[in-house]
Amino acid sequence: MQPNYIHIILADDDEDDRLFFTDVFEELKINTKVNTFNDGEDLMNYLNKVETIMPNVLFLDLNMPKKSGIECLTEIKGIHKMSEIAIAIYSTSASEEDIEQTFVLGANIYIKKPDSFEKLKKALSEVVSINWQYHTNNLNKDNFLLRL
Amino acid sequence: MKKNYFFKSTLFLKVVLLSSLFVILVMGGITYMHISNLTNSTKIVVKTYKVNVELERIISYLREAESDYRKYIVEKDVSYLNPYLDAKEKVNNSFLKLNELINENSKQHENLTVLNKLTDSLFFNFSKTNIFVENNETNTKALNLLYFKENAIIDSIRRKTNEMFFLENKLFNNRQEKYESDLQFTPLFFYLVLLITLIIIILAYSKITNDLKNIKVKNDQLLIFKESTNQSEIIGKHGNWVWHIESDIFTYSDNLYRLLGEEPQSFEATLVNFLKFVHPEDVDKLTEDLNKMTHVEELPFINYRIIQKNGSIKYLKAYAKSFYSLNGQKRLLGNTSDITEEIESIIALEERNLELERNNKELSAFNYAASHDLQEPLRKIQTFVSRLEEKEAATFSDAGHQYLERIKFAAGKMRILIDDLLQFSRTNKPDKEFVEADLNALFENAMQDATVIILEKKAKITSDTLPKAKVVAFQIQQLFLNLLVNSLKYSKEETFPIIKVNYSNVKAKETPHLLKAAEGNYHKITFTDNGIGFDQKYAEKIFDLFNRLHNKQDYSGSGIGLSICKKIVENHNGFIFSKGEINVGAVFTVYLPVI
Repeated sequence: MQPNYIHIILADDDEDDRLFFTDVFEELKINTKVNTFNDGEDLMNYLNKVETIMPNVLFLDLNMPKKSGIECLTEIKGIHKMSEIAIAIYSTSASEEDIEQTFVLGANIYIKKPDSFEKLKKALSEVVSINWQYHTNNLNKDNFLLRL
Repeated sequence: MKKNYFFKSTLFLKVVLLSSLFVILVMGGITYMHISNLTNSTKIVVKTYKVNVELERIISYLREAESDYRKYIVEKDVSYLNPYLDAKEKVNNSFLKLNELINENSKQHENLTVLNKLTDSLFFNFSKTNIFVENNETNTKALNLLYFKENAIIDSIRRKTNEMFFLENKLFNNRQEKYESDLQFTPLFFYLVLLITLIIIILAYSKITNDLKNIKVKNDQLLIFKESTNQSEIIGKHGNWVWHIESDIFTYSDNLYRLLGEEPQSFEATLVNFLKFVHPEDVDKLTEDLNKMTHVEELPFINYRIIQKNGSIKYLKAYAKSFYSLNGQKRLLGNTSDITEEIESIIALEERNLELERNNKELSAFNYAASHDLQEPLRKIQTFVSRLEEKEAATFSDAGHQYLERIKFAAGKMRILIDDLLQFSRTNKPDKEFVEADLNALFENAMQDATVIILEKKAKITSDTLPKAKVVAFQIQQLFLNLLVNSLKYSKEETFPIIKVNYSNVKAKETPHLLKAAEGNYHKITFTDNGIGFDQKYAEKIFDLFNRLHNKQDYSGSGIGLSICKKIVENHNGFIFSKGEINVGAVFTVYLPVI
């Protein structure tokens, strides 16, 4: 049976960002389950466990110690059981290079961390309500970066 | 042009030689002819004389015979008969001689036959008379008739001999005249021939003189050309060589020897001797290319290296083209130039390009980090402010609202400042000045800078005596400081940090770390600590710009310190390596080239 909540994971080494993230989902009127990880290595260790149920959406910070977001993305795309996860890049920067690279590697959307809580709320609620199948089919470089 | 001139000249000389030879042969022939004519003429004179003598002799023999015969008839003494018989024989002999002498002239021959018949009839007449005498019938009419007849025959003989004599003289005169006229033209002919020969020789002489003059001028030009080639070879750092392929003989220009670092013409120009200078790695390629040259007309440039006796390596570039001598022998004319400076400047340029690339990479890494790491706290300040505004604003006083506005304003300003700083960093370029510096002093300065943290952590730091080196002083001091701070920062909480600095002078060849380095000696400085260490798999990653192995909350690292260390070491053409073991410590090894 399909669980009646959206399972969301965030991998970000920044404590404050993790706090903002969980605050957003507490305030949003959506039934979600949120897990956070401090770095890429922790995240991958969790995902690779046999008993782990794959999340619906994975938010990946790019600049993390031990294992970067890019490394995680590459790894995930090479593992069959993880191929269904929608991957949202969640980064402070929105440099052309990063956007291009993550798009090519198969991420589904790119979110530049906004500089106010309202904007963040809006962005995250938009992302979790995306119909991923529809979005992925119409994905191109122009709609890859989430615009607020 | 030159070739035509050459051919013209030789052709002309050949014609002169041949015509001179012809003239001399003709002169010789004519001279021979004239001399043999003269000899002939002398012979003819002698012959005419002999004919005359013989004719005279015949007459005198006949007279003698007649007188002796008369004496015999009168005195009837048989002893008179012997001269008569002798005379008959002598006359016959004379006839034989005459026959030989005149056999080429038919008229004279006829005359001789007539004369012979006349003498025969005379002797016949004598024999008839003899019958009368033997029968003693002298003084008879018949005998008188015989006498009369005898006289008539003798007269005829005299006439005939005169006639022959006359004819012979006439012939002689004719010949004499002809030879005289011949002889008259001989000197004129000789003179003319000599004149022509002289003209030809003078022409040939002037031609040869002219040619020699031209050759001299050309030689002079060649000499100038050769000298200017020598000079241009020295200035242009190139040399030329000729390979006579069939005879396998080489000639090298003076400057080619100089390119090899040798005195001009100081060794025999052979392939083997040349290959001795070629860099061992390039010998095979060069030999192969040279072999190709022997059967291909034109080849692209060949690049190879040589090692001079003093050990310096030079880069040479050669080009050769075959050409054929006048007698069809194949030769290769080659030009070799020293392109070491070119190559070195290319290498320097490549190095500079690499450095630029590196700088660019770092700049973009810095750019990324600045836009990420510096903007991140700012973004958070702004987000928290928005949280405050949203959730807590209701409880704020007017002053609180104002302060919040000021914070928002200041944060916005900081964003602009960061953007400007980024802009600045993109155009900033460090200048490097290498000076002799005492590394001990630089290390002391670094210790001074780190005093606070050293005291705080109660660290124990020991150091070997460091050398003097040509470095950018403030950068090396920064390097020492960063390494010290790094070790102190990642120390274990429960133990006092111990940092050991060791020094040794090593040879690049004998150091596993420096296999890729240039040859020579390096200063090896190691920083060993007893800190938290790290997993060896991050040994390289540790130097990447803004790369951290630990959470910001636990350790205060910026992720820049070790990247700066790496950059400083690379600026000095050195190397830096790290070795870590978790909970045991870390070792950072710096290699700086000994300049």
